[in-house]
Amino acid sequence: MSAAKRIGKELAECEAAPPQGMKITYNESDLHRWNITLAGPADTVYAGGTFHITMVLPPDYPFKAPIVNFTTRLYHPNVTNDTLGNICLSILKPENWKPASRIKGVLEAVRHLLIEPNPDDPLETRIAEEYKNNRAEYDKNAKQYVDRYAKGDAKK
Amino acid sequence: MDEEDAREVELSTITAIYPEELRVDEKNPYAFTIELPVSLGKPVAVKFPAASEAAVPVTLQDSIPTGPSDGLLVDSQELSNLPSLQIQISLPEGYPHSKPPCVRISTTPPWLPENVIIKLEGNAEKLWEDMGRDQVIFTYVDDVQQSVDDVFGLVGMDNTLEVGPEHKIAILDYDIEAKRKAFQKSTFDCGICLDPKKGSVCHRMLDCGHVFCKQCLQDFYNNAITEGDVASVQCLEPNCASTREKAARATTPGRRRKPKTFISPSELLQIPLDQDKVKRYVTLKHKAELESDKNTVYCPRSWCQGAARSKKHKKPEGLEFAEASEDESDQEDTAGAVAGADGKKTKEPASKDLLAICEDCGFAFCSRCGQSWHGEFKYCIPKERKDEITEEEKASLEYLQMHTTPCPTCAAPCQKTQGCNHMRCFRCQTHFCYLCSAWLNPENPYQHFNTQPSGEVNSCYMRLWELEGGDGNDVGMAYQGGQAIRNPNIRPGQYGEHLEIVQGGREDEDSDSELDEEEQVGRPDAAAAPRPLQEPVQGQQPDRRVAIAREGPLVLRIEGNALPGRGRQAHRQPAAAPPAPAPAPARGGGRQAVNGGQRGRGRGARGRAAAPGGAFAVRQNNNNGVQGQQNQRANRDGRNNGQPVEHDEPLGQALNQADEVWVRHFVQLALNDQEHLIEGDSGDEDD
Repeated sequence: MSAAKRIGKELAECEAAPPQGMKITYNESDLHRWNITLAGPADTVYAGGTFHITMVLPPDYPFKAPIVNFTTRLYHPNVTNDTLGNICLSILKPENWKPASRIKGVLEAVRHLLIEPNPDDPLETRIAEEYKNNRAEYDKNAKQYVDRYAKGDAKK
Repeated sequence: MDEEDAREVELSTITAIYPEELRVDEKNPYAFTIELPVSLGKPVAVKFPAASEAAVPVTLQDSIPTGPSDGLLVDSQELSNLPSLQIQISLPEGYPHSKPPCVRISTTPPWLPENVIIKLEGNAEKLWEDMGRDQVIFTYVDDVQQSVDDVFGLVGMDNTLEVGPEHKIAILDYDIEAKRKAFQKSTFDCGICLDPKKGSVCHRMLDCGHVFCKQCLQDFYNNAITEGDVASVQCLEPNCASTREKAARATTPGRRRKPKTFISPSELLQIPLDQDKVKRYVTLKHKAELESDKNTVYCPRSWCQGAARSKKHKKPEGLEFAEASEDESDQEDTAGAVAGADGKKTKEPASKDLLAICEDCGFAFCSRCGQSWHGEFKYCIPKERKDEITEEEKASLEYLQMHTTPCPTCAAPCQKTQGCNHMRCFRCQTHFCYLCSAWLNPENPYQHFNTQPSGEVNSCYMRLWELEGGDGNDVGMAYQGGQAIRNPNIRPGQYGEHLEIVQGGREDEDSDSELDEEEQVGRPDAAAAPRPLQEPVQGQQPDRRVAIAREGPLVLRIEGNALPGRGRQAHRQPAAAPPAPAPAPARGGGRQAVNGGQRGRGRGARGRAAAPGGAFAVRQNNNNGVQGQQNQRANRDGRNNGQPVEHDEPLGQALNQADEVWVRHFVQLALNDQEHLIEGDSGDEDD
């Protein structure tokens, strides 16, 4: 099973029909590293922001799950509130990853996480609590983050 | 242009239309067979009525199929492929102008009823006539093909078809084979490499039906098994397991059990994976199962460390998992919960659950203490708690040490609260002596405290009423004799690995009270005789007894002041000298000898007082109970397995040379487990 072949196919698939709100760029010399920009979904606190995501496909992809991180900081219960931007997404966990899962599905799941956070399985417990108990505060903070970090393109 | 050509032309046309299905007869160029598959658009329920019903195969025929008599028909299968029709056609001379084609229809097995075949065959001539006696073969075959969908009118309104039960296996086989062929011919998009693949290089997962190419499956499973990640040996489709679980819950609510998600070893072999890999998979899977079960007990042998046999996780044999018995699990859970509990005394597992047998080396051991199996009645301390017993346990152990005597049969510690020294075990009802833990003959338990039938007396002679007020702190008594016999390695405050814990309330409260009325034997005697035997109660003597009893598997207790020779005629073993020269194999043999001598002296004085008659007596303490117990101890100590023999005999201070020699000889033989031989040698035996 050659990883390159499958990655090539998936790349073609994603380019032909990109996941909603996403733009994928990559370096021809390293197909295992994808850069994705995601437009904050409308009608969410993240609307208006542009989020950068990196996705690294391990050498034995698709037997092992891709590694996905937000490079743009983000106020979210399931994304670490730091520069690493680790994402807690069930299909990316080793025990849940199945080789027949597709990158496109992963990216759609990442976007869905912005629409519908999952505070019951949080990486940032404080933010999760806030999301559950003080939604107004959460919305305010999240928007603040968007203004501070996710409007970079606009500034430049 | 003649018929010859007409036949030839039609034959070549037909051959072009049915290139794969048509075979020309080798002998007759105008005879050929067309194989017509009976593949149904939608599956039909094929019923195989019981043999008695098949004897009346009428339901199938005629244009009005009478509904099959349901109720009795239990055996039904949904099939979409039935064994194909063989249409043998020969074009006789004169065809098509003067003669109709000759058609024979058959099936293998002959599942199609005779009348249907006749009707189908007859159709050929009819069609030929209808067409104005023209070339009719294609039309005819096409006509037959058209009627396949309702299986030539055999399928009734309820979409069922009845077939004789004798054809069942062949028909089912055909269906499987047809499906397999269809699978091999079709194309699938492998979800892993994303390439379209022919069915012949694909594998359909047996449990869920997902299809992947064999190459991808092999790569993934081999990789996972090599890495030891057996948990991921599942269907590779995302959410496959959870989807199936949901489906299963929808169809059979109430059943909580998850559907099996792992791949069976036989399926892995089908894919195929190497036997070695599958073997490793089976082994790892079993190991993972054992490790995830906190109740698993492991073999204490350091070179083995296999798991104990368990009904829940049977050791796999060959390349297949053993079927686990689910119903056992609850029971084992409760039993094993104790092993994990630390510190607190919770309910201990029933003793029958203590026996564990290693599934690898077959070693039988106690799952609580980790020692080799010691029988179910022995109390032992959980292995992991040996070094950390609580104060409370320590206190009760000390108490047990001081104030109980073990039953010679089951080792249950018994405490006497009052009464005579004839005890009856609260657990196994064995009669025994509280002083020396000797087994007593239920027929006449008091004999032990009196003169033996042989005329001899033993160390308990006249001591039936000793400790009458009971044994325990509350009465200011501490009799350790019986306990010392049982636990030779223990002195108060010294806790080795052979400690035994007894739950509170085990002490026997009433075993002797019931006996109170029975006994009065020798009471006046005992009173008359100077009550000589306060030593064991007084403290120093018990210590000495401990020392004696610690001698190991071979214990020779010699005492008394009797003149040698007297008891000799009376009992089977002649008098014995202090066993100083005995070449005891156990460590500390020398010390034993010294102890023995010491004790002999110590007892000598008392023996005089106790047995003024001076009779030389040998108490044979070799009953089964004691013997078994001794064996147990010997095993536990791991010292040796020699046959333990215990003599408790008053002994003359002056032993003659001959007796000394005899004793040496006897000890030597006993060490070799041959002491019985000596009986033959000394001719003056009783019976």
